[in-house]
Parts: sequence; structure tokens; C-alpha cells
Amino acid sequence: MAFALAACLLGSTVHAGGTLRVLAWPGYADPDIVKAFEQRTGAKVEVSYIDTDEALWARIAKNHGGDFDVFAVNTAELQRYIQQALVVPINPGAITNTRRQLPQFQALQKIPGIVHGGKVFAMPYTYSEMGLIYDRRQVKTPPTSIQALWDPRYQGKVLVYNGGAHNFALAAQAMGSRTPFALQASQWESAVQQLIALRRNALTFYSQLDDSVNWFQSNKAALLFANYGSQQFKQLQAAGLDVGYAIPQEGALAWLDCWVITRGAKDTALAEAWINYTLEDGPGKVLQDRQGLANTTAPSPYLGPQDKLIWLEPVEDVDRRNRLWNRIVSGDRASKVLAP
Amino acid sequence: MRFGIRARLTLVLALVGLLVAGLTGFYAYHVSRSLLVQSSQNELLLSTQVLARRIALTRQEVSRNLMVLASHPAAQTSLQAHSAVAQAQLATLFKVLMAANPAYLQIRLISAQDHGLERVRVDRDSGTLQEVTGEDLQEKGHFAYVSETLKLAYGETYLSPIAINHEQGSHAGLDRPTLQLATPVSDANGKALGLLVINLDLDGMFALLSADLPEDFALYLANHRGDYLIHPDSTKAFGFDRGHRVLVQEEFTATAALVDQRAENLVLQADQGPHAFAPLLAAFVGRPVLANSEETRLILGLARPLESVLKQTDQLGRTIVQIVILVSLACALLAVLVARALTRPINSMIAAVHRFSNDNKVLPLPVERSDEIGTLARSFARMQGQIRKQMDDLHDSREELEHLAQHDMLTELPNRRMFMDRLKQAIARAQRTEEDFALLFIDVDNFKNFNDSLGHAAGDAVLKTVALRLASNTRKVDTVARLGGDEFVVMIDNFSERNLIAAFTEKLLVALKAPMEFEGHTLCVEFSIGISQFPEDGSTAEEVINNADRAMYRTKAGGRNGYRFTSDANTQPNLL
Repeated sequence: MAFALAACLLGSTVHAGGTLRVLAWPGYADPDIVKAFEQRTGAKVEVSYIDTDEALWARIAKNHGGDFDVFAVNTAELQRYIQQALVVPINPGAITNTRRQLPQFQALQKIPGIVHGGKVFAMPYTYSEMGLIYDRRQVKTPPTSIQALWDPRYQGKVLVYNGGAHNFALAAQAMGSRTPFALQASQWESAVQQLIALRRNALTFYSQLDDSVNWFQSNKAALLFANYGSQQFKQLQAAGLDVGYAIPQEGALAWLDCWVITRGAKDTALAEAWINYTLEDGPGKVLQDRQGLANTTAPSPYLGPQDKLIWLEPVEDVDRRNRLWNRIVSGDRASKVLAP
Repeated sequence: MRFGIRARLTLVLALVGLLVAGLTGFYAYHVSRSLLVQSSQNELLLSTQVLARRIALTRQEVSRNLMVLASHPAAQTSLQAHSAVAQAQLATLFKVLMAANPAYLQIRLISAQDHGLERVRVDRDSGTLQEVTGEDLQEKGHFAYVSETLKLAYGETYLSPIAINHEQGSHAGLDRPTLQLATPVSDANGKALGLLVINLDLDGMFALLSADLPEDFALYLANHRGDYLIHPDSTKAFGFDRGHRVLVQEEFTATAALVDQRAENLVLQADQGPHAFAPLLAAFVGRPVLANSEETRLILGLARPLESVLKQTDQLGRTIVQIVILVSLACALLAVLVARALTRPINSMIAAVHRFSNDNKVLPLPVERSDEIGTLARSFARMQGQIRKQMDDLHDSREELEHLAQHDMLTELPNRRMFMDRLKQAIARAQRTEEDFALLFIDVDNFKNFNDSLGHAAGDAVLKTVALRLASNTRKVDTVARLGGDEFVVMIDNFSERNLIAAFTEKLLVALKAPMEFEGHTLCVEFSIGISQFPEDGSTAEEVINNADRAMYRTKAGGRNGYRFTSDANTQPNLL
């Protein structure tokens, strides 16, 4: 504790007057959280928001990470940033609050994609499993399988996220694959067919959380693939909907968002101070209370002991998944989708 | 340097004129400026409202076009199997419409069957119209504009949220700001068999609508949440599509009232934050979208730089300055004329007073005027008259006093004082001209007896008669005077010959001695006369008169009633 305090004090003297450019998902850096950090360090924090992985990639890749100091990315997406050398290793010793994290998040070696060549590239911050949200009045028994999304009973009442990488993984899970992030060459065609079937069963595909809530409410959707997980569940409840949350037996895809530091970071120590700060109780509680997001220091209230999580991993060919998905979501039929 | 009334009056009047003209100009400029800003804001608001109305009309026109297509028999037929002819016909119709409306990016007929499969589709593709067929036709059932439109009744229009179109294969429309308007195609029972969708190019549409706006007008469009759809800085439009929302109410705080539907219209002057250095005048209107839409409301705004509005006041300012200068010059000229007109009568009065006080001459005064100056002139004229009269009186009194001082009151003859003056003058003249004169000193013999016997009136009567006789028996040039009591003197000029003087004296004595009548008494009066001559008997007046007096006394001593010269040695007078 004394060491942590000393580090803070040190931080405040070192970083006074600096500027930290944060690129985050909505809810990760709320103004009050930012303000507390600014007061403590004397630094100025500029927060920008993104709401898709693609937007995140575009903004970081532009100027080779020079536009931001620190950003939050999931472990799967992280890999291409590491490959492109857009991020730099983190000094775990500077993040003293890791001792407060749950054991599964302290064992960084066991989480795919965080440690490369013995160097830690990311610090777990929050995670969310992509369960299924269902309208209790239309879906009497909680869905147990991911197959429910294809259930013709819910035709035109299924809301799915508009994202290529995840949806091919969903298709793979539905096809019984145990490696949803690595499609075999022979699996592509059936995956495409599977996703076209999903499209035909779907009400629409959403990108933003707010949109999904509006759609769910105004179109009386029955089932929702919750890309935003318990956060989405909480908002739907807040909107007055009678909804349930289920983790499919195939395992829920789960993203683990970590803070990473860009190659272009101007003040690495300030970025590390920010990461360390977000692992405190205050920011962790804000994540849980306001966003319905689990933090890495306390157990999630939305998960049971048997629930299986599949941490997202980099997919075999993200461009191909996205290219094909864009064709699918635009309405092309299989022959057209699979055309070169 | 001292200034007269005229200079000061001119200066004051000119300054007052300058002040009034300057202040009037200043206030006129200020009032005009704020009026101009106000009218510019009104103009902006009006333009914005007109534009909003045009948008509504455009929307209605698209709806009408959709209805024309939806009611066309080919539309229904095209939704059935094996309807190639009808589909070709409809595609031609689409092309005609798209050719006539450059903002139409795409028109499609979409089936309610087959997961919303497109049946007829024409895309705009780099300037050409392209019919999309076969495998390129797509399933659109999962798009809101399909599912929402199929819920509508025949004749109703669905309007999509305005967004960036990411639908692949939409040719020119890909990644462009787009809005879709759609209407259902229904069978005879009103069941929706499919729908017609027109994709509108937002930028193209607004470019057309705002084409006739002045060049410095900037156009803003935001959705009901305030997200910019059109912004002069294109990076701020569709921020939500890039995950970074840019809101109108953050740039123009007052527009929060439009977003919250607390107001319909507003005008504002943006001079804070990013507009601090280039303030804008702006007008925003919030208008409900009169179609079935998640986009419940649109916020439209026009703005123009305050600087370009105020530029018009520069010309106004220059004109006002010119007017102020001209008016000031006119005031100065007027001040000179007024001051001259006011001071001219005053100056003429000053001249009159000067002249009057200098030499008592009366100059004409502006007494005919009916104003204060006329009153003053009349008062002065009256005063002038009084002064003149008093001066005349004074003159008369002085002359009288002078007469009294030099004459004997009883006989009206010059008195001793005047006589002495004349004597001195005569001496001076005689010394200059060498003409001699003689002086007769005459005393009434036994004058006391008349007073004593007949009273003072008798004595006075005798003296008066003597005076008259002396005056009537001497020449004008001679001087007769009464020295006092019963003593008279006569100075006769140019008499140097003793015998002539004697003859004159004797003749005078005869005239004097003639009997006098007084209250019934006949008085016989006799005289003693002493004669002195100049220069023989003295060189001064005193000597001359004293010698004559002494000669007279010698006459009295010699027995009265006669005369004697000073130069006569004997005491016996020359008796008649």
C-alpha cells in the first residue's frame, strides 16, 4: 500500500502537465473517472471513443499509433496490433494493482495472446461473454444452444451483431466446430450458407448497443446475440423489458479487453499510471454498476460456476471473414458471396 | 487672443452643429448595425424555413414518384414469377425517373418473398444508369427499410434514418450519405407483396436545394439526436458512423432546445469556442419528419459569417461620415451667417453709441425691429434724446451763468470782470497794432442823494438810464461796463487824439445829463469823468484803470460835473 501510494505520488510529480490520449470503448473512461485521475496526476486526459473493432483498428493504424497513448482492445484483436508493432510491451512491475486481480487474470500466460516472447503486451481490464438475451414472454424456456439463433420459430425476431469475425465464429460453433477462430478450407462454404440462413432468420444486424436496445424494444425481438454481453442485458432491463440471459452450452464467446500502450505513446509512465489506476476499486465498480461489465478484480454476477467462456482469438483470416460478411449482410446469395 | 461675441457665437454654434451631427451619425450607425444584424438573422431564419419547406416538398415529391411507381401495374406484375416483360418495363420507368432526378442513386422493387429479394433494380454508377439483374440482385429482408415498409398501408411512405450506405454492390451509393424512401406495393386486398425503394443522395439533394443560397452561407443538418449529417467541415458529419459522435448542440449550445423539442426555430450568434475568432450568425429550425421513420425530426441550419454581414455597415459608416462632414460644414456656414445676422444690429448700435459719445452725433439705430434688439435700440434712442436735451439745458445754463458772471444784473452791462478781460485784450491788441485807445471812468455825482431822497428804486432807475444812454451814445466797438455802485467805464478804440477824446466825452456828458423822469419827478444827474489813455497812462490794465479812476477823483475834487485827463496836471476839471 505504501509502495502504491509512493508510486502515485511519484506519478503526480512526474506527469504533472502531461497529456494522455486515451482511445476507449464507451463506459471505460467516464468523465468522473477521468477527472479523478487528472486531479491526482495533474495530467490532462483526452478521451476518444470507438464502438467497433474496425474503427479501433482504423484509428490506431492511422499514423502508426501516433494519435493515441493508450487504448483498450480485446485479446483477439490485439494480435494484429502486435504483429504490426503498433503497441509496445508493458512493464508489469509498474502496474502494482495486478495483485488485486482474480487469479485467472493474474495468470497471463494462460490467456491466449497476451504474452509474446516473454513480454506482456496487455493488461486485462474488463471482459464480457457474448451470451443470448431472450424475451421471457416469447421464449418460454431459456435457450441452451447457439442453434436458437437459427430457430425458425424466431424468424424475423432475431437480432445479431453486424461483425464478420464473430459471426463466422458463431457459424462454426453452430456447425459443431471446436475451433471457431480457425475455419478449415472445407468449412467456408457451409459457414457462408449458415450465415445466410442466419441472415434470413434475422430481424436485422446492429452495430451500436443503443440501436440493439431500440430495435429489441420497438420490433418486439425474441432473441438477441449479445455482443455487448451483460452490459446489453442490463440496458434492456433498464428499458423495462422482461429479458433473460443465457450462456449457450457450446460456450459463450467472450472478449477480454485489455489496456495496451501504443508505439507512439509520448509518456509511457503516464500511460502505465492510467492502467494501474483503472484496476482500482473505483473504476472497477463504475464498470460493473454503470455498464454491467465485469471487472478483473471481482467475480461476475452474471456467470454461473458451470458457464463456459471461450476467449476470443485471432481468426485465421480476418479480411476474408469481413469481406464475405459484408457481402452476406448486403444481401448477396451464396454463389455471389463465395465468388472470388 | 480675445474673441468677440461674433467669434464665440460662431464657434459655439459650429460646435453644437458638429456635436449634433456627430452624435446623430454615431447613433444612426449603431442602430443601423444592430438592425442589420437582426434583419440578417431574420433573413437566415427565413431562408432556413424556406429550405426546410423545400426539403419537405422534395420528400413529398419522392413520395409521389414512389406512388406513381407503386400504382403502376408493372410493379405488381414484376413481383410475380416469369414477369421479365413487366420487369423490363419497370426498369425503364426507373431509369426515366432517375434521369430526371440526379439525386436518386438507386430505385428498387423488392419482394416481400424470398427474404426480400430484389426484383428490379437500377443503380446510378459513375454517371450511367445500370440495371442490376440475376445473381447480382440481393436479399434485403433484414434491412429496416424492408421490414418497416412492409408493415405500412398502401400509400404510406417510410423514411430511413439518414446514414452512410454500407450496402455492398450499390455502386455510386456505396459509402455515401443516403436516405431511403420506400412505399409498399400491395395487392387488391391491401396485402404488401413488396416495396419500392428510392435511395436519395443526401449531399446531391442538398446541393440542389441550396444551390441558390449566397456563397457565404453554410448549411447544417442534424438528426433528432443532434448528430451532424451535413456540416461545412465534412469530417464532422456522420461522426457516429466512425464511432465518434459530433453533435450540433455541442457546437451551438442553444440548439439543445431544438433537440429537446422545446423550440421550433431559433436564431443565434455564435461567438464562443471555435467561433470566437470568426463569429457566425445562424438560424436553426427543427422540423418533424412527416413520414414513418425512426428519424422523427431533422434540424436544419444556415449560418453566415458575422463579418460579411457587418461589411455592409462599412459602406453605411462611410456614407454617414460623409453626411456628418457635410452637415458640420453647413452648420459652420450657418453659424457664421447667424452670428453675423445677430451681431450686425449690435455692431450698428455700438457704432451709434461711439459716435454719440464722441461727438454727440446721432446715427440711425435699428429701432424698427420688433425683437429684443429693437427694444434695446428704442431704449437707447430714448436715452440718447434725454441726454441730448440735458446737454442742451446744461449748455444754456452755462451760458446764462457765464453771462451772469460777466454782466451787471441791473444794467445788463458787462461787469468789472468782463471789462478787465476786454481791457487786457485791448491792451494786447493795441500793443500788436499800435492803435491807441482811451478809457473813461464815469461816476454819478451825489448818487447817494437819489437813494436817500427817492429810495433805492430811484437810484436803480438812474443807473439803468445811465447805462442805456452810455450804450446808445457809444459805438458798437466801444466797451461800456458798470464796475460797481455808480461807477461806469467806457473804453473807446482808436482814439489817440486828445481833442477828439475830449469832444467825444463832452458829447457823451451832454447826452448823460439830459433830465430823467422817475415817478413824476424830474431828476437832474451830473457826472464826474476821468480819462486815461493807452499807452501814455499805463502799460497794464490796472495802471490804465487806476489812472482813469484817479483822474475821475480829481474831477470830483475839482467840483464834479466835468472830466479830466490823467495827464492834466491841474486839479480843475474840464467843465462843460
